[in-house]
Amino acid sequence: MTDGAAQSSSCTMPPRRSLFCKYFATLFVAAVVPLILGAAVEASFGYRDQRRQISAVLQADARAASDRIEAFTDGIRDQLGWMVQLPWAAGDDAQHKIDALRLLQQVPAIVSVSLLDETGTERVFVSRLLLNRTGRGTDMSTDPAVLGARANKVWYGPVQYQRDSEPYMRIAVAGSLPAAGVAVAEVNLKLIWDVIAAIRIGETGYAIVVDDSGHLIAHPDISLVLRGRASSGSFGRIKHLAGAASGAAVITGDRGNPVVALSVQAADVGWTVIAMQPASEAFASIRAALWRSSILIAFGVLIALALAYWRAHRMSGPIKQLEEGVERIRTGQFEHRIKIFSGDELQQLALRFNEMASELAISQQKSARIERLKQFLPSQVAELVEHSHELLEGQRREVAVIFGDLRGFTAFSTRNEPDVIMAVMREYYEAVGAVTTRHEATLIGFDGDGVMLLVNAPVACEQPATQAVRLAIDLQMTVQSLAGKWCDAGHAIGFGVGVAMGPATVGTVGYNGRLDYTAMGAVVNLASRLCNLAKDAQILADPTIAGRVRDSVPLASLGQRTIKGYDQALEVFAVAPADLPLKPPGSGQRRREKESQDH
Amino acid sequence: MKRREFILLIGGGLAWPAIARAQGGAKLHRVFWVSTQSEPDPFLDGFREGMRALGYVEGKTVTFETHYAPGDPQALRKIVSELQRGDIDLVVSSGPATRVMTAVTDIPVLFALSGDPVALGVVKSLAHPGTNFTGSTFLSLELAGKRVELLKDIYPKLRKLAVFSNTDHPGEPLEWRATLESCRNLGIEAAYVPFCGAREIENGLMAAGKVDADALLVFPDAVTLVHRAKIAEFAIAHRLPSMFGWSEYCDAGGLLSYGANQRTTYFRLATYADRILRGENPSDLPVMRPEKFELAVNLRTARLLGIDLDVSSILFRASKVIS
Repeated sequence: MTDGAAQSSSCTMPPRRSLFCKYFATLFVAAVVPLILGAAVEASFGYRDQRRQISAVLQADARAASDRIEAFTDGIRDQLGWMVQLPWAAGDDAQHKIDALRLLQQVPAIVSVSLLDETGTERVFVSRLLLNRTGRGTDMSTDPAVLGARANKVWYGPVQYQRDSEPYMRIAVAGSLPAAGVAVAEVNLKLIWDVIAAIRIGETGYAIVVDDSGHLIAHPDISLVLRGRASSGSFGRIKHLAGAASGAAVITGDRGNPVVALSVQAADVGWTVIAMQPASEAFASIRAALWRSSILIAFGVLIALALAYWRAHRMSGPIKQLEEGVERIRTGQFEHRIKIFSGDELQQLALRFNEMASELAISQQKSARIERLKQFLPSQVAELVEHSHELLEGQRREVAVIFGDLRGFTAFSTRNEPDVIMAVMREYYEAVGAVTTRHEATLIGFDGDGVMLLVNAPVACEQPATQAVRLAIDLQMTVQSLAGKWCDAGHAIGFGVGVAMGPATVGTVGYNGRLDYTAMGAVVNLASRLCNLAKDAQILADPTIAGRVRDSVPLASLGQRTIKGYDQALEVFAVAPADLPLKPPGSGQRRREKESQDH
Repeated sequence: MKRREFILLIGGGLAWPAIARAQGGAKLHRVFWVSTQSEPDPFLDGFREGMRALGYVEGKTVTFETHYAPGDPQALRKIVSELQRGDIDLVVSSGPATRVMTAVTDIPVLFALSGDPVALGVVKSLAHPGTNFTGSTFLSLELAGKRVELLKDIYPKLRKLAVFSNTDHPGEPLEWRATLESCRNLGIEAAYVPFCGAREIENGLMAAGKVDADALLVFPDAVTLVHRAKIAEFAIAHRLPSMFGWSEYCDAGGLLSYGANQRTTYFRLATYADRILRGENPSDLPVMRPEKFELAVNLRTARLLGIDLDVSSILFRASKVIS
């Protein structure tokens, strides 16, 4: 297709962008752009919704985790509260010890508990690992735990890592009565692991707990907690990033993968619970949607490609065919036909094209025929054939009109038999016809013994006046030679000619297929009058002719004559007798005879 | 900010979801089990159970090559040279075998120790082992004193305590020292009854029967664990309230036990084995310590003993009561 196009347009500049490409690109873009836009908009809205939803889910999970952690610490606080309900009395130590042992049984996270009296002296110490002690022990009144508990009833100590590994904290609770003393518990925070490990956000999401300075307190992977302060750098960063965002933030998680994180403060202890879900999982549904859209887009693109190609091909193919066709017609292959069956306007166009080609072929044949014919036809006729239409149209132009009329014909026709008359007429007509043809004039018609000729219409000539005069001379000579013959046969017939020139309306007139080319106007009347004025063997011309042929044919002025139908007398000219060949003997006498008869 | 995240997400998201999951199941992992105890080995069983729970199939994804040198850590030195052949993925050592394994520096070694691994010199710190060693320690030293206390709580008349100890156990001297110290604090006379390995257990028990003690304290280790029924029977026969390290002893007829849960410990050890087999570096895995301690009491044994016991002082804090 493209090769053909390239060949056919080899003479012209090849188009920079083919119609095919344009159509293809347009159709393709029209199909694909909305598809991609739709998918992009869908994805962005989906992402926003998903993000909002994730935020809500993480918020709920983090809040739940924080609640559980608060429940954990509150549980310890409340249990410790039981220890400091009653004021210390002498001999109470044993009962307090049992209470403390019960506390350890109740709260697995408490590793040891010290019960202090109002002075801050340790009275009972119970531990899971160390030996229990009862009775007055060390004075702990200046211990921050005691001071803190006395000031705020409850005191939460900082997280400490035993042997740099296990997280511990101390919680102290003071009784409502100062005499009830203070209970200080050492809590193993590894036990929070149970709380945290139970939290699953989605499939692989989890929650972590860090303290104020970013130290890890709880993580589903306990080994990270056991690394002590060493990991606080990376968790401090996560805490900072998650805390900085208002909702859920996409950050790099502790495993180096992107996670959606949201942090919530656990009120009492000042810890931060961070709920995290791997971004890959959190956005799995939107990603799946993206994949679906991508696949749809890919399908759409393929279909659009195919459709656009097919459409563009259907569009540009016929156009290329047409173009090729035009090119072939241009090179003269009129038999070329275009076959398009698209059933649309293009097929219509192809039909019209084929009709045009066949008509072109016919007109080409015609013109070829005319060309051939023209070799055998007079140029006048050839031109008439070629341009008959315009030539024969009614128009006003300057023409030379020649009238000829036999003298003494009336007498001759009355005296002779019809066959003799017809023989004379035939000779006369033949001679006039021959002269007319010779001088490329137009024979308007015979009217009995009269004849009317036109020069410069419908076929124009260079010097109509000169040609008209030469024709008149030839005509006079030819008819005079015939007249001589008729004279010998005993018929006294003469011939007079009138020539006039001027504007006339020329054209074909007629009725029902019978058409005549004729001229109308004053000049026709004038030529007719001049013909009537002319004596035998005389050629009379009007002043226009005389003026035009002054240089080539000498004309003799006959002076002013009054002419019927004209108010003023008109100067009439006669072709000088010198230009006329010698008249045969007897012609002068015959001329006189005829003149007397006509007048 | 948000838009960038969005683009990041789209970009990252379009990378096809990572299908390459842990290929732990694909390879056959060879685990070297080294112990100075003898078979049957309850620790190995616990560890195996843990590995099974993690999805390992013996013979398909994991094989255990067990090496026992009862009572002779030196015999294990030969085994170390065997490790040089290169196809071993992990060594798990329990008991004193760990000390021998310090010669291994290029293969991860998991240990289960009663004592302190830092003191033993196999790790630099609990939080960051920093070597090819990691594992768990049972906190036996700290608990040793506590056991004496509990025994005195249930049997306040306790004056003389027989301490039955396998000397063929790492950290045993330290454990004995800790026990001795708490005995002193509690005003109890301690009678040290040492024995060495499973061969001597009968003799050891006979010796224990002769020290005229009021109660029996048995250090937890594999030998006494394997022979726990025998020891418990002996204690009942001699009307000795007995104290052990793990609840398994109580199940077999011991009166009391206080210590970490064995199963939990070995399950956790299996978790570490799994992580190491998946490619984690043992030097980054902190040494684990138990945080839950079980106090078990066998009331049937208490009845059988037929002596005046303050069971009530124990019952309210026992985590496991066998009746």
